[in-house]
Amino acid sequence: MKRVIEHPVLGRLEDAKEVKISVDGKEMTAREGEMIAAALFANGKNVFRYTNKRHEPRGVYCGIGRCTDCVMIVNGVPNVRTCVTPVEAGMVIETQQGIGHWGEEGSGDRGGEDGTH
Amino acid sequence: MKMDEKKEMKNDKDRLICRCEEITLGEIEQAIDEGCTTLNEVKRRTRAGMGLCQSRTCSKQIARIIAQKTGKPLSEIMPVTSRPPARPVKIDVFRTGESNEESN
Amino acid sequence: MVRTEVAVVGAGPAGLSAAIECARAGAKVTLIDENAKPGGQLFKQIHKFFGSREHRAGIRGIRIGEELLAEAQALNIDVWLNAEVCGIYRGSELWVVVDHSESRLVKADAIIIATGATENAVSFNGWSLPGVMGAGAAQTMINLHRVLPGNRIMMIGSGNVGVIVSYQLMQAGAEVAAIVEAAPRLGGYGVHTAKVRRAGVPFYTSHTVLEARGSDHVESAVIVQLDDKWQPVAGTEKEFDVDTICIAAGLTPLIELAAGAGCSTCFIPALGGHIPAHDEKMRTSLDTVYIAGDIAGVEEASTAMEEGRLAGIHAAAALGHYGTDEESRRSAEVWKRLSTLRSGPFGQKRREAKDEILNSRRTLSERV
Repeated sequence: MKRVIEHPVLGRLEDAKEVKISVDGKEMTAREGEMIAAALFANGKNVFRYTNKRHEPRGVYCGIGRCTDCVMIVNGVPNVRTCVTPVEAGMVIETQQGIGHWGEEGSGDRGGEDGTH
Repeated sequence: MKMDEKKEMKNDKDRLICRCEEITLGEIEQAIDEGCTTLNEVKRRTRAGMGLCQSRTCSKQIARIIAQKTGKPLSEIMPVTSRPPARPVKIDVFRTGESNEESN
Repeated sequence: MVRTEVAVVGAGPAGLSAAIECARAGAKVTLIDENAKPGGQLFKQIHKFFGSREHRAGIRGIRIGEELLAEAQALNIDVWLNAEVCGIYRGSELWVVVDHSESRLVKADAIIIATGATENAVSFNGWSLPGVMGAGAAQTMINLHRVLPGNRIMMIGSGNVGVIVSYQLMQAGAEVAAIVEAAPRLGGYGVHTAKVRRAGVPFYTSHTVLEARGSDHVESAVIVQLDDKWQPVAGTEKEFDVDTICIAAGLTPLIELAAGAGCSTCFIPALGGHIPAHDEKMRTSLDTVYIAGDIAGVEEASTAMEEGRLAGIHAAAALGHYGTDEESRRSAEVWKRLSTLRSGPFGQKRREAKDEILNSRRTLSERV
């Protein structure tokens, strides 16, 4: 799942600032402002969660924030749609199991202030 | 689509129809066998359509299954009843005193 | 409570065109979109539009998107992004939640709903495996996010979306192992289909996907031939080594807001299913609520823009910004272009289907 650097219509991919994110405890490099799902794909990860009932792997399905297949735990908040949420430096991303759990950084008061869900 | 009508006849009971709630073809067919003839009824019985995508992905598939099993024309199988909020809304949003707008 | 004249829901080609038209007429417009960026599906469309009419100059969807945005900005239209319309009441009030945190009530004299359509699902064993996705999802990944969803793709569906996205996947550097079509004939425009054929992609008509295989991710796909009764023919299974399966099986109008608002619907399979009935002015069964674009029947971006203009013209006129003569003149120009867009072998079917919607709306009026 490599990046599309050269493209016959869109031209060369512009350079972007690199940011470091943590994915299941592992450090990965992403382009600033890109969608989490895109950063994960570029880093070779395409399984984002395991379902509640059947513990089955899920990844990207609709890609535009409507189906919620791609949700992960982001900075302690579960059910974050990774295909429409941009990365930020230092973001902590975890593969979600089932309906997920609220981490130490996440709490009810945090709802919505980072604009993600 | 005809492709999918044929698919339903394969009797693949374990095949997922509602991705969000993980409801299978078998469960949906059972609900219909037990008397459900509308999307609302199948939803209430099985939870298909109650998940985060609110039936967006499974609606047409379930309608086809109902049509096949009951003979009801697709034109008469309505989508699940749409009610506000059309998007998930956090309880936070309903807290008073948060907004700058004059309350009405 | 925010007071506006025209509230437009959805800033894709139809919504943008409607907002621009209303603003040009002098109406106060509030354009509301749930995404972080406007443009709807336009910015993924890197191919040239109007490809089926060889004599027309082709314009890429991305270019059209840029032009519409520039026009909207120049007209100082109030645009709300990350703003989700959660409900429409009494044909004139909208409950909007901005940034998932702030609730706003909007009072409008007219509402134009341009919420587009969603990709259809096709289920088969293993279809929930990572690697199975909508063709639109793959298109978003490669054209917007500039990352490949996989390296070796199977495309299900040979309609326009299927062949166009297949071609774009190849432009992005992926291999398309096969295009699978259940019908005995291919479904897309000749121009796009020919391009993909020339690039060496095999088409399998009268075939359907049987299974996606893999443990954590798609590793292979099995397809099977169908007989003339659409039944799988035993022994014709073929397995393909692929890591991605894209589903291009048509679109369905997103009518939840319109239906929730109380708009009557009609059932038009050729245009995607249940659709709010509308008249020649793009008005639904609710006097103050208009629709435009794919929500009014799945067609193309070009028709979406024209319908948006139409809704804009008539909404603005209803609010007194155009007199009847001006309204008729402008409307006639749009209808002329719509007729051209709905001509030819593909267009004719859409025209007939749109006429069914108009008839349905007329029947409603007669009943009342």
